[in-house]
Amino acid sequence: MEKYKFIEDLTSDVLFEAYGKDLKELFTNAAEALLSVICNIKKVQPKKAEEYLIKADNIEDLMINWLQGIIAIVDTEQKFFSKVEVKEIDKNHIKAKLFGEPITPELGETVVKAVTYYKYKFEKTDEGYKATISLDI
Amino acid sequence: MAYKEKLQPINEYEWLLPKAVRKEMKVAGKLIANKAIYNSMEDDTIQQLSNVCTLPGVIEPVIALPDAHFGYGLPMGAVAAFDAEEGVISSGLCGFDINCGVNSIRTNLSYKEIKNKLKELVPALFNAVPCGVGSKGKLRLNSNELNEVLVNGCEWAVEKGYGVKEDLKYIEENGKMQGADPKKVSDLAKQRGSPQLGTLGAGNHFLEIQKVTNMFDEAKAKEWGITDKDQVLIMLHCGSRGLGHQVASDYLKIQERAVQKYKIWLPDRQLACAPAKSQEALDYFAAMKCAVNYSFTNRLVMTQWIRETFEKIFNKDWESMGMHTIYGICHNVVKKETHTINGEKKELFVHRKGATRSFPDQPVLLAGSMGTASYILKGTETAMQKSFGSSAHGAGRAMSRHGALGEFRGNEIQRELAARGIITKSPSPKSLAEEAPEAYKDVEEVINSVHGSGISLKVARMEPIGVLKG
Repeated sequence: MEKYKFIEDLTSDVLFEAYGKDLKELFTNAAEALLSVICNIKKVQPKKAEEYLIKADNIEDLMINWLQGIIAIVDTEQKFFSKVEVKEIDKNHIKAKLFGEPITPELGETVVKAVTYYKYKFEKTDEGYKATISLDI
Repeated sequence: MAYKEKLQPINEYEWLLPKAVRKEMKVAGKLIANKAIYNSMEDDTIQQLSNVCTLPGVIEPVIALPDAHFGYGLPMGAVAAFDAEEGVISSGLCGFDINCGVNSIRTNLSYKEIKNKLKELVPALFNAVPCGVGSKGKLRLNSNELNEVLVNGCEWAVEKGYGVKEDLKYIEENGKMQGADPKKVSDLAKQRGSPQLGTLGAGNHFLEIQKVTNMFDEAKAKEWGITDKDQVLIMLHCGSRGLGHQVASDYLKIQERAVQKYKIWLPDRQLACAPAKSQEALDYFAAMKCAVNYSFTNRLVMTQWIRETFEKIFNKDWESMGMHTIYGICHNVVKKETHTINGEKKELFVHRKGATRSFPDQPVLLAGSMGTASYILKGTETAMQKSFGSSAHGAGRAMSRHGALGEFRGNEIQRELAARGIITKSPSPKSLAEEAPEAYKDVEEVINSVHGSGISLKVARMEPIGVLKG
C-alpha cells in the first residue's frame, strides 16, 4: 500500500493524502508526509528519540493535534525528525517516538506554519484508513 | 456550479458576485481585477469568496483583490469586514502567519555604487539575518522580555538599540498594537517564539536589495525619500514565526468550539470564528495583537542588522547612507476600524488576509515574486470607499509549490537570475524552485488592476538586484 501522496490542488499550500491499514500505520505515514515537507527525511539521521504523548477528544481531532504537535516540537526541540514509531494509539491519544537530529539549515525544506482544516477528511476505507490533509506553508 | 461564471462586470476593474448566486450568502462579493487577472482567476477562489459572504454580520462586499489565489478558508489576497456589534472575529480568516508583512528601507546609494559589492553584500546579509527552517535568532529572551515584546512591540526594540525612534513613525500602528495581552498567548506559542525573534523564516519570505526603475509620482516619491532612478532600496518580507503560527492554531481550535456553542453555520471549518463580543473573540484579538507586535519587532530587529551589515561592507555609518524606514506594513491582520457604510460611520473588524492597508497617502508596499518587480504605491480615498481601505499585497501565486518543484530546479533559477545580474542566496535550492518567478501571477497585471481601480496609485517601481530567500 502507498504510504502517502501529494496532490496538485492547492495553489498556495500543500495537500496530501496519507493511507494505512490501521491507525498506527496511518498516523506514522501522515507524520512522515509532514516531515518530508519540513526537512530532507532521506538525509536526516534518526539518531536520538524522544517520546511524546498527544491527546484529543476524537480520532479526527487527534490527527490534527498530532501533526500540529510535530510542527511545534520541531521548533521547541530545534530538531529535524525522519522516523516515527507509534507505541500506543486509540481514538483519544497517541504515544509515539520521534527520531531525529539537531537542526542543520542545509537539511531544511520549508517552514510548515500549520495544519489547516481546509479539505480535511478522515475516512475508513476498504483497505483501512485514509486522511486528507492540507498544510499552510 | 462554476462560481467564476456568475461574476458580473461592473467596470473595467471590478466584478460583482451577486448575493443571489447562493442562498446562504448574506452579502455580495466583489473581485477587483483587470480582464487578464479575471481570466486567470481560479473558480475555487471565487467559491471561497462566496463562503465568506455567508458569515454572520459580514459587511458588503467581501473583496477578492487582484492577487487573490485559492488558499485555505479565505483566498490569500482578500478583505472581509464585520460589524463590531453583530459580526464575528475570525482566527481562520486572519490566517496562520499573523502580521506577515513588509518593511521597505531606503538608502542614498545608487546601483552603480553597490553593483560591484553585491557578491560580498548578499552573503554578508545571509550571515547577519538568520533564515531557513528552524533558524534561531541571535537574541536570547527570558520570559519577561518576551512578554515586553508582545505588549510593546517596536518600542522594546528601540529601547534595546534595534532601530531608532524615527522608525516607529513609519510603521503601521507605530509598531505597537494597543491592547495586546500576553496572558492570552499559550506557553507553547511563547516557547516557539522565544528563540526565533530576529529570524526571517522560509517559504515566500525574503530580504531583497532593489533598484528603483521608475517613478510615477515624483512628488510623493520624494516625500518618502525616493529621489532617483537606480536608487537602492531594501525590502524585507516576513512574519510572526512559530509564535504567530501557534497563536492562530490554538485559537482556531477555541473558535471551532465557539462555532458549536454559538450555533454559527459555516461552509468551511477553516472559517472558524466567534461573535465579536464573545470571550472567544476578544481573547483571540488580544493574543493576535501580541503576534502582530512580535512580528513588527522581528522586522525592525532585522532592519538594524541589515544596517550594520551595510556599515561593514561600505565602511560608513548607516545614517550617512540614509538607511531610513520608508514604511512597514502588515498584510495578515484583524483591525478594529471606523468606515463609512451607506453614509453612516460604523465600527468594523476588518480582516485583511494577504491584503495591505491603503489609507489615503499611506505607502502601500507590494512585493513581487522573486526576480520580478515590486512597487511602492500610495493609499487612496477610493480604497476607503471601495475596499475598506485595502489594496493588494503581492503578485499572488499561480502555481502550487508542489507544482513549481516539479517544473523548476533551484540551481537553474539561481543561474538564470545571475545572468540578469541578480545575486541570490538561500539555505536550500529547493526553496528557490518553489518560489520560481513563473509560479506567480504577472505583478504588472496586479499593479494595473489596483492602479486602474484606484484602490492604490503607483509611486515607484523597483527591480531586485540581490535576493536572500529563507
